[in-house]
Amino acid sequence: MNVIECRGLTKVYGKTKALNHLSFTIEENKITGLIGRNGSGKTTLLKTIAGYLRETSGEIKVFSEKSFNNLMVSANVIYINDQMNFPTALTLREVLNVSAMFYEKWDHELANRLFDYFSFQSTHYYNDLSKGMKSTFNMIVGLCARCALTMFDEPTTGMDAAVRKDFYRALLKDYIAYPRTILLSSHHLEEIEDLLEDILLIKEGREHLHMPIGELKEWAIGIQGLSENVEEWTRNKEVIYSKDIGVNRTYAVVKNNLSEADHQKAKAADLALTQVTSSDVCVYLTSKTKGGIDDVFIKD
Amino acid sequence: MILNMDGSKPIYLQIGEWLEREILNGNFGSDQKIYSQYQLAELFTINPATAAKGLTLLAEENILYKKRGLGMFVSPNAKEIIINKRKNQTLKKLVIEIVMESERLDVSKEELIQMINDVKTGEAGE
Repeated sequence: MNVIECRGLTKVYGKTKALNHLSFTIEENKITGLIGRNGSGKTTLLKTIAGYLRETSGEIKVFSEKSFNNLMVSANVIYINDQMNFPTALTLREVLNVSAMFYEKWDHELANRLFDYFSFQSTHYYNDLSKGMKSTFNMIVGLCARCALTMFDEPTTGMDAAVRKDFYRALLKDYIAYPRTILLSSHHLEEIEDLLEDILLIKEGREHLHMPIGELKEWAIGIQGLSENVEEWTRNKEVIYSKDIGVNRTYAVVKNNLSEADHQKAKAADLALTQVTSSDVCVYLTSKTKGGIDDVFIKD
Repeated sequence: MILNMDGSKPIYLQIGEWLEREILNGNFGSDQKIYSQYQLAELFTINPATAAKGLTLLAEENILYKKRGLGMFVSPNAKEIIINKRKNQTLKKLVIEIVMESERLDVSKEELIQMINDVKTGEAGE
C-alpha cells in the first residue's frame, strides 16, 4: 500500500517555487531518507504531507486522503522538527501525559523509560532546555506516538554524538517491534544510511533520485589519473563532479553504467576506478556547479 | 563484528561474509536456524531490508535454505560451498594480485614461493 502519493505537487511562496512539480510515492512500512541541500524544499514537503501547508497545485494524498485540514491524517501522522510548539505552561512530564491523550497508540511506559534514560527532570520546562535536549525530548514524543506515518525533520540537531547513536538505535528497535512508515530528513547521510531502505533526493523542489539505498551506493563511480586521460575517457559520459588533484591529475565522478570496453580503456590509460560513498553522490548531485566551492575561487 | 561503514563495500555483502564466517567457525551447524533479518538488523543497527538482502544472497548460493514461515537454516553442505567459493574466488584473486605485485617488483617465482614457505613455517613455529 502507498502511504504517500504525490503528483505534480507544487508549492509557491510569493515568487519562489519551494516545490516544483514533485511526483513520488512512499510505500508502507519503509524507512525513507529525505535528502537535499539547505533550501531544497525538504521542510515544505514534510509540512505539506503532514497537512500543515496547503499545496498550490498538484495532488498530495496521505493514506489515500488529501492531507490538508484532515483529521484522519492528523491523527495518524506525527511531524517532528526543531520548532515544536509544546505548551510553555506545562512541565516536561505534563507534556508527555498530555501527548498520551492525543495519540491512540502512544506508549507511555516507553516514554517514561526514555525520559529517565536521557536524564530529564519532571519539573523542568521545555523552553529552558538546551538545543540538544530539546531535540532529544522531541525524539521521545516522535517515537512514542507510534504514528503510522512518522516524520523526523533534522531530528539530531544539537544532539551530541552519543545521543545521536542512541536515537538511531532506539528508532530502529522500535521500528522492528512496531513497523511503520518513517520519513527521516538529515544532513548526515553517512550516519543514517544504514537505517534506510530507500532514499529520496530532492533538488530545487524537484525529485532528483528515488531508489533503494543499496543502489545509490553503486550509482556512481570515481576515476582518477592523468588529466588528459581522464578527459578523454569521460568525453561521452555524464560527469557529475570533477576536481584537479596534484600536478596534471584529475578526479572525476561519472554515472556507473560502464561497459566492459570502458573498464578496458580505463586500465589501458592507467586510470584508477574507486567507489563513491552515498553521501558524496548526494553532495555532487545536488551541487550547482561541477567543481563545488572551488569554482567560486577560480579567477579568469 | 564492527561493520565497515565507509561505503567501500555494500553492507549486505558484509552481512553475508559475516554469516559465512559464523558458519565456518562452527557457531551454526547444519540444519540449525540462523539469525533472522530482524535479529541481524538489531545486532548491527541496519535496516531489516538490508539484512534480508544478505540472507537472500546466501540462500541463492545454497548456503542457507528457507523453511516457509520458520526462517532460514544452514544447509548440510554449507561449509563445503563456502570453502569452495572462497578458494575459487577470494583466494584466487589474492594470488593474482600477489603475482602481479611480484612482477612489478621483479621478484622471481622461486623467491615468491620461498616467501610463502617462510610465512608457512613461521606460522608453524608460533
